[in-house]
Amino acid sequence: MLAQAAVPRDIGLFEFLFGSKYWTGADGILASLSDTVVLCATVVAVATAIAVPLGAGLAHLRRGELSVTWIVTLSRAVPTFAIAGLLVPISLRRGWGFEPWPIFIALLLVAVPPIYLTSYTAVKEADANTVDAARAMGLAERNVLFRVELSLATSVILAGVRVATVQVVATEPIRAFLGGDGLGRYVRDGLGQNNDNLLLGGAILVASLAALTGGLFGIIQRVALPVGVRRLVHRQP
Amino acid sequence: MAEIAIRLTNVSKRFSGTATDAVTELSLEIPSGSIVALIGPSGCGKTTTLRMINRLIEPTSGRIEINNNDVLSVPVTDLRRGIGYVIQQVGLFPHRTVAQNIAMVPKVLGWEKARIADRVAELIELVGLDASLTNRYPDELSGGQQQRVGVARALAADPPVLLMDEPFGAVDPIVRCRLQDQLLALQQKVHKTIVLVTHDIDEALKVADRVALFNLGATVEQFSTPDELLRAPRSEFVERFVGEDRGMKRLALKSVSQLPFDQGTVVDARCAVPDAISVLDNAGADWLGVTSGGRFVGWLHRDDLIPGADLGAGPLRQPAAQVTPSSTLRNALELIMTSATAGAVIVDNDRFGGVVTVEAIRKCLSSEDQ
Amino acid sequence: MTVLGDAALLGEATNPIIRWEWVIDEWDQIQAALIEHIELTFLAVMVGLIVSAVLVAFALRFRSATAPINGLTAFLYTIPSVALFGLLVPLFGLSRPTAVLPLSAYTLLILVTNTTAGFDAVPEPVREAADGLGLTATQRLFKAELPLALPYIITGLRIAVVSTVGLVTVAAIIGQGGLGSLILTGLRRTFWTPMTIGAALSIFLALALDGLILLLGKLITPWSARRRTP
Repeated sequence: MLAQAAVPRDIGLFEFLFGSKYWTGADGILASLSDTVVLCATVVAVATAIAVPLGAGLAHLRRGELSVTWIVTLSRAVPTFAIAGLLVPISLRRGWGFEPWPIFIALLLVAVPPIYLTSYTAVKEADANTVDAARAMGLAERNVLFRVELSLATSVILAGVRVATVQVVATEPIRAFLGGDGLGRYVRDGLGQNNDNLLLGGAILVASLAALTGGLFGIIQRVALPVGVRRLVHRQP
Repeated sequence: MAEIAIRLTNVSKRFSGTATDAVTELSLEIPSGSIVALIGPSGCGKTTTLRMINRLIEPTSGRIEINNNDVLSVPVTDLRRGIGYVIQQVGLFPHRTVAQNIAMVPKVLGWEKARIADRVAELIELVGLDASLTNRYPDELSGGQQQRVGVARALAADPPVLLMDEPFGAVDPIVRCRLQDQLLALQQKVHKTIVLVTHDIDEALKVADRVALFNLGATVEQFSTPDELLRAPRSEFVERFVGEDRGMKRLALKSVSQLPFDQGTVVDARCAVPDAISVLDNAGADWLGVTSGGRFVGWLHRDDLIPGADLGAGPLRQPAAQVTPSSTLRNALELIMTSATAGAVIVDNDRFGGVVTVEAIRKCLSSEDQ
Repeated sequence: MTVLGDAALLGEATNPIIRWEWVIDEWDQIQAALIEHIELTFLAVMVGLIVSAVLVAFALRFRSATAPINGLTAFLYTIPSVALFGLLVPLFGLSRPTAVLPLSAYTLLILVTNTTAGFDAVPEPVREAADGLGLTATQRLFKAELPLALPYIITGLRIAVVSTVGLVTVAAIIGQGGLGSLILTGLRRTFWTPMTIGAALSIFLALALDGLILLLGKLITPWSARRRTP
């Protein structure tokens, strides 16, 4: 439901952001934050579960060359807000309410393409190199190669997951305008109540989460990779 | 036009961040209408020198003059429009046709359309391209064809000077040979001052009027004609660079026509056999050549000479070793070494023009060493 | 995914996915929304093109500026649209600049990256030959570099336009949303027709503009017809 945040009109910006009063409670910042994080994490998890096997599998079977170009074009052309908007009546029609399906599916469509593309590319490259080198070195070496290729592929896929997550987190706030809540609600309420400070506070919160997510992934990527492999992978998908 | 087309005086170039000069106090005079090759080991500064002439690289110090005008005294774009520049990878504009590429500079100079069109057609013919290629795009052309277009484009505005940086390096040897020949033929018609950078000593020797052999820092080890470079190398560096087969290389530079006429052991068919035998005895040779009506018809071995027989009749061995006056001495030697007879026959417009022997060749080389 | 198909399936007359009478009645409103959408997209991309051209020219001239410029455009891109719109409302209110500025900012990363790639793709021998022929820097730019970079620039333009169309729908939250405002209207009034119309039209617009620019691109760069498009 479109719950309005219980924030007075003349709240000061800092008071809002740092006053503990607004962090707690059902409509508090922490609740909204966890709401957002849970949705985003779920979307990314599901997207990964779909896209990685799909991309990796197709690449391994040497099919789906055209799918890559199609997905790139389509994923850019599809306006997420419009898709989510389109899905709301359908969801309501089926009695599923405003949330979570419309925004979930819309965000899924944001997350899947980057992960699919990197999975596909990673396996395609890894496969080619492995086969070549295996032929050259004899099968016994294949295990060693697999380890290197696999970690290379993993880091590329991880980069794709990062892109997907950042985009999902950046797009998620529209949810607040489609009958949901999450961290974007403060922007919505600030706009609705003409409360500039609430508005600003909400914007800062949303932007900060996006920045943090990017930073978090930066750390994950650093930690998850051996040094040499990391350097090899510094080309963005 | 000045006698010295390009004059470099104490030209130096040091690139920032390097410890030594790329070019150290280079002084060089390039005569008008000649082809000068700049050659030397990798990194010796030959390309740097070339690119200072059209100021693609600015000299650190020294003076460069073209037709007695300091290159620094004119705006650089004007300077370059008066100099043709050809590079190894050609650099044709892929989005323009052959004609449009060639017309680049004339268009920029503001020539009328008709004049440009004429000039383009003229140049296409001059560089040996088929007119059907005029409106093709570069990626439809072969490597050799592209380079010809490159040369045509460089010559479009009829500059007096042409700079070439390893122009034929990117094509295969057969095409390279053809392009080199084309360049020589072209020069006969246009008489440009050409400075050519190459790493191929044979190319330099074949094409250039004078060769400047550089050592590191563009130090001039020797600046002379190809023949002199081979005959009298000034230092061990030059000797090593030119290669051990200097003699053979020199032979490639000389032609059969430079030899004095030698009748050799060749007689007319009407000659009597005893006279023929005495010719052979005098020369200490075994093979007798026979001419008839001014044409060479074949060789006869002394053992086949039957007294009283007609020299013109009977089986004659056709000359396997045969050259023309324009053949190189190297070719002649090659043929002589692989034939049974001790000489090669010179055939000049179907007529007998004398005989070439190994001894004659050797004499020709050594007599110049005086 | 055909909306009409769903309506048929559901068959409910009271609140169908599309009530066509509404569409006909409110055609003016729909048209206005579509036009506003196109205008905003056009404005944002134009501003983005100009700014990115300046940035790229700067980066080409001063190589050291490349990294900071890339960093800046990338940073701008990661700011969530809702946040950026929200941040500018206190400054400019609910007006066009509030929408156009963020929209332009989002195009910068795409345009700068693709334009730079285009210029990098110009073969070095072509540049050298251009200099050797005596072309001035400007002549070289317009006769040699720009034509060859054009396919990449056009690709960047396509991507920028398409993603801007999507973002304009979000700008509805500050009242500058073109087709997005139809979606929000439907939401507020719990009336589905404007939602589906708004959504469907924005998807259609995105695809149509993509195709249009692709065609235009092919027209003005005939020489790349034979090569692979970037």
